[in-house]
Amino acid sequence: MTDLIKTDLKRIFKDKLFLITCIIAVALAIFSPLLNVLIYSALDALESLELLGMMPTAKSFFFQSFLPGNNMGFIMPILVAIILCKDFGQGTVRNKIICGHSRRAIFLSMFISSSVVSSIIMLGQGLITLFFSLIFFDYSAEAFTFSELGYFLLSVLFELLIYVFISAIISFLCVSMKNAGLAVVMYVAINFLFAIVGSVTMIASTFAQADTLGYKVLEILNNANVFTSTLIGSGVTYSAKDIFYILMPSVGGSVLAVLFGILIFNKKNLK
Amino acid sequence: MEYIFKSKDITKSYKHRKALNGVTMNIKKGDIYGFVGENGSGKTTIIRVITGLIFPDSGSFELFGIANTSPQILTARKKLGAIVESPSIYLNMSAYENLKMQSVILGSYDENKIKEVLSLVGLSYLENDKKKAGDFSLGMRQRLGIAMALLNDPELLILDEPMNGLDPAGIVEIRELILKLNKEKGITFLISSHILTELSLVATNYGIISKGKIIKEVSAEQLKNECRNYTHIEVDDVEALVSVLEKQYDFDTDANGAKVYGDVSLNDMLSGIIDAGIAIKAINTVKSSIEDYYLSVIGGNKND
Repeated sequence: MTDLIKTDLKRIFKDKLFLITCIIAVALAIFSPLLNVLIYSALDALESLELLGMMPTAKSFFFQSFLPGNNMGFIMPILVAIILCKDFGQGTVRNKIICGHSRRAIFLSMFISSSVVSSIIMLGQGLITLFFSLIFFDYSAEAFTFSELGYFLLSVLFELLIYVFISAIISFLCVSMKNAGLAVVMYVAINFLFAIVGSVTMIASTFAQADTLGYKVLEILNNANVFTSTLIGSGVTYSAKDIFYILMPSVGGSVLAVLFGILIFNKKNLK
Repeated sequence: MEYIFKSKDITKSYKHRKALNGVTMNIKKGDIYGFVGENGSGKTTIIRVITGLIFPDSGSFELFGIANTSPQILTARKKLGAIVESPSIYLNMSAYENLKMQSVILGSYDENKIKEVLSLVGLSYLENDKKKAGDFSLGMRQRLGIAMALLNDPELLILDEPMNGLDPAGIVEIRELILKLNKEKGITFLISSHILTELSLVATNYGIISKGKIIKEVSAEQLKNECRNYTHIEVDDVEALVSVLEKQYDFDTDANGAKVYGDVSLNDMLSGIIDAGIAIKAINTVKSSIEDYYLSVIGGNKND
């Protein structure tokens, strides 16, 4: 399977769309904190925000840049899906099947390669965002300590696990649809659906009475929704409950998407 | 006799259309198996079944002696090279990069092998060329596809309509390449085409498919015999006719007379018959081409 991963990575890196994705990532990473500074400066609001303790931080910019519903988090999976689907569009997936690679290996290679590429792009744009944010803002209200470094690294790992989950969804959609257009439409629909569910559950939970069953269900739905949840990077430490809410959808969801992806691909007729 | 591929009653349906309707075919080691059939007859579908791109609904096949239901079929496919419909190439990569990618997929990157296959298909001049495959002509893509299929030294090479889009010179080159690989490397070929005359220049055996069913498997020699021009002479005394013909003609007898094969001098033959006192009832000269034979074979099936 290593050979398949090597070829998948090579074809992704060689694709012009990958270069475009990187350019967009860098542009957004620079533009996002810069735009905030410009707006606040134009409104002459920087001092007031500092007084109110509502000054944006580089930490918040960094972690928000990973949100799947935000700029790069939304664009990147679409572009990666288009690149992945080219294997079906150009018929090059046939070369792998004809020479005896199993469909399971082909799917896993696709999933692993897209996870690696997604992680590299998201981490890269996150770090550039952090770098440019630090020019204008403090890292956070508190001083950066050793324990904060641990929290930071763990948070990055959690963020990347979300993109492993998204890569599993993309790979699943690619082998199911075998068509870039359909895969993209389905991914956008899934993203919107999660965003809508996220908004609804968040609003509903503000009206629900605490300690009721309805409140608990809404809390689970809200926290487990990786497309809208802000659990990662918003505090200074993680409780066991937080870790459960973060890992359940990203790890559990990835396993499910991969299993279903292999199952479907094993039965798919290819042209 | 060693068979590389054997199938029995393979069926495959797409929604309401039956693409394969009980395909039974056999390919011997060393054959150049010409797979002939009209458009939509099921040629590409059976090729997809062999290469593992689609799964049959029923029936079975053996590839290099391995059953299609065995997990070992994946290993058997490592001895396979194929171009299905159109060459599967990365359009944003050069010829060399495409071959390198395929080598990595095969797990055997060897620079010399790449040079060798490029030279075999007449694309050596592209070795250091950065030109992307997307800018290649159809003929160049076809050759690159064949080069990619040759990288693993296949024992069976499947070419689906390999002459499509090639200019006359390209057709001759590919034909010569097929014959060379078959002779020098012992590669068995399965070549599909709807142009029987083109196939007849290379094939050693034929499978004629129509409406998803193999209706005839015939060797090149048998086909040649079936397609010979002949003169049918109907006489009143068949035995006497035989004694006249047997000295210098190639013929077959039937109840009413004989079929004399080849382009014979009618004057000489008829004067010999008349001199022997045989009464001639009718003479009919039949020019039979491969196409005529093919049409006569599928004719019955077309009227089903």
